[in-house]
Amino acid sequence: MPARPRRTLLAAAAALALAGCAGTSAAEQPPPGAGPVTGGTIVYGHQQEPACVFGGWIEQAYLSTQVLDALTSLDEDGRVVPWLARSWEQSPDGLSWTFHLREGVRFTDGTALTAAVVAHNIEHWVEGGNSTAKVWLDGYYDSATAVDDLTLRIHLGKPYPRLAENLAQGYSGIQSQQALQTRTAEENCEAPIGSGAFVVDHWDRGEEIVLRRNEDYTSPPANARHTGPAYVERIRWRFVPDGTTRVASLRAGETDAIYDVPAVDYADLGRDGYTELKHVTAGRPQQLSFNTQRGPFTDERVRKAFAAGLDRRALVETIGRGVIPYEGNGAVSRSTPGYSREAAEAHSFDLDTANRLLDEAGWTGRDEDGTRTRGGERLSVLLPYNSGTIINADGASILQGVQQQAKATGFDVRLVPVPPSGFFAGEYSRPDERDIAVGYWTSVTAGILWVNWRPGTEDWPNGNNAAFYDDPALGELIDRANQTADPAAQEALYRQAQELIADRALSIGLFDRLSTLAVSPSLQGVWQENAQGGPVFYDARFVR
Amino acid sequence: MTTLLLEPAPEARAVRTRRPRPWGVWLAGLAALGFGVAAAAPGLLDTTDPLALHLDRALQAPGPGHWFGTDEAGRDLFSRVVHGARPSLAIGVGASLVSLSLAVVLGTLAALGGRVVAPVVDRVVEVLFSFPSLLLALLLVALLGPSAATAAVAVGVGTAPGYARMVRAQVLSARGSAYVEAAVALGHSPGRILRRHVLPNALRPLVAVMALSIGQSIVWASSLSFLGLGVAPPSSEWGALLEAGRPYVAHAWWLTVVPGLVVVVLALATTTLGKHLQAVLERSAS
Repeated sequence: MPARPRRTLLAAAAALALAGCAGTSAAEQPPPGAGPVTGGTIVYGHQQEPACVFGGWIEQAYLSTQVLDALTSLDEDGRVVPWLARSWEQSPDGLSWTFHLREGVRFTDGTALTAAVVAHNIEHWVEGGNSTAKVWLDGYYDSATAVDDLTLRIHLGKPYPRLAENLAQGYSGIQSQQALQTRTAEENCEAPIGSGAFVVDHWDRGEEIVLRRNEDYTSPPANARHTGPAYVERIRWRFVPDGTTRVASLRAGETDAIYDVPAVDYADLGRDGYTELKHVTAGRPQQLSFNTQRGPFTDERVRKAFAAGLDRRALVETIGRGVIPYEGNGAVSRSTPGYSREAAEAHSFDLDTANRLLDEAGWTGRDEDGTRTRGGERLSVLLPYNSGTIINADGASILQGVQQQAKATGFDVRLVPVPPSGFFAGEYSRPDERDIAVGYWTSVTAGILWVNWRPGTEDWPNGNNAAFYDDPALGELIDRANQTADPAAQEALYRQAQELIADRALSIGLFDRLSTLAVSPSLQGVWQENAQGGPVFYDARFVR
Repeated sequence: MTTLLLEPAPEARAVRTRRPRPWGVWLAGLAALGFGVAAAAPGLLDTTDPLALHLDRALQAPGPGHWFGTDEAGRDLFSRVVHGARPSLAIGVGASLVSLSLAVVLGTLAALGGRVVAPVVDRVVEVLFSFPSLLLALLLVALLGPSAATAAVAVGVGTAPGYARMVRAQVLSARGSAYVEAAVALGHSPGRILRRHVLPNALRPLVAVMALSIGQSIVWASSLSFLGLGVAPPSSEWGALLEAGRPYVAHAWWLTVVPGLVVVVLALATTTLGKHLQAVLERSAS
């Protein structure tokens, strides 16, 4: 019996020694005189494996973008540029959009891209095929029809002037109608048929998805750097959940590119010659939403006290090691058009204010741990978080810092790491199950405010309203912003909404969500799409 | 003649037990004492808050002021290791108790359960035995949700089948012994024979096994925490510390090496003490 632990311990010691040796060393550079070549297989280490290639989650958007083309794309300045749609225009009343599609595009099952196919896709999304597209379009979208073979008309119930930007998100890839209608849901889940630069070859669950080049590819977005098929033959999209292991695999040459570089490794990889790409995703940053329906945070003073008791900037800058940006705004991140700096600066670190507010709110007692009490009730709050997907290791460290800082003003924050399976199954989603929700939601415009703050009704509780804050006035303000065509006027309204959210301390920001990539020097031309920062391998090639 | 000479005389046995103990046992005892103090009264060894943030001192290597270094939020690792002794030992001892209690019940039933109960218990133990201990523990954590209590129960149940086998063998050998035959011949009731003769003799070796098992249980529990299935962060339980330090393994070796070494030292100490105890008990029994 005792031999077993001893062997385990020896193995652990050996593993530690090896990990120590993995250390840091300069990346192997391509030999002198090397040039770009066509062909080869990119091995890419990604953090999270989704259930399907297509769907409403960012991990699915990243994969979908490889396989499916969308109507529009975003350039580096966030301007919307053509992809499957050559051009588009809105009617003067803003209630109908006309998209002119590219000619001669074929899906990889041989069927042609037509306006009817796109209309079918959009109907498919709102009928349950894509939860994220649905929450965006819901309340605005009315119907989609084909005017002719290559002219699509989208009819809206209310104007939505940023529709073209919205359709650039990776959730909006267009699939073959024939595939959607004739294949099983499982087939379309595992290997959707698009017109994209790559095709799903096969999926080894838990291991990798292998994508192979679409040899007949003709439809890159306007912001791509070349035309025709991709340079590389295959992509092995490997799932490596642990950040340290991803970095080690890149250093060992087992992967050519990795996603989500841990903050502590970021500077070293750059110094050692790896190419690093960083995209601050627009939309909701990593933030804390307070439960405004039940528990201590129904009192605005308690929410404000919690915010004032945290030195969020110091926490994020230390643990984020200068890589992860601090974000004070709980509504949208700094890279979102119409971002309000005023909302970001609304709650500064001030222990006196925090303590005064809690005293005013009646939380004047203290128990033996130093937790505040009121009439025998402890100021104990529950903060569950999706561990490993929404919150990575750096994020978990920051949350522990929040817990510790909040202790100083008398909050007992109970952190509960929830495995992704439980989280996506709806654990901790009801008002009686949590006091603080943490998480992000990427988008390309401040229109995300509608998704996150749209008031729920009895028949339709808005599950995405993490603060459970059903305020018709706030909803109306965001709705008005969404409908405003003039960008300056629209941004002013979005700012007003952010400031209202900050003013009532419904949600406070923590840090901006990053999409980071580290790429080996022997692989060039990888870029990040500008909607969510996912990797684009279409223009990538090896240098040998 | 020769066999008679080899039989140790009572005097010789007494001399042997009084022999000075090897230095390893003393060291192990000292280490166990240190761990005991850290668990019972961590304040004696360290007066700081193990979770206090010092954002200006993040990721400092071991040195004066921070003997074991600091983590990414400037928390003092020495303080965390000291305060981690209580949850770690609680899980270790708790798991051992669960494991040995289960083992005694299952083992005794398997040995004495007769034609109906014994085969059933035997099969149950065999089924449990066919799972690797960690897998069985993982299954329980999945069912009960991660927490310190779950970790103790999971590790306890996971390691119980092995001990149950041992108890069964011991009970069987005690039952077949001459003194039990004598007790039966004297007409003692089965309950009394079990209580007075079989169990005390069968369970004596378990005292030593218990000590061995504590170290092993802590290693198992640390593995669970390392997988994120034990005690939730920011607990200072040693497995949780190892897991928390893992992202920094290439940059701040102390965050994994120090808690890892502490687990090693504790496991070595309890193993050494357990073996020593076993030797002493065997000698006193022979």
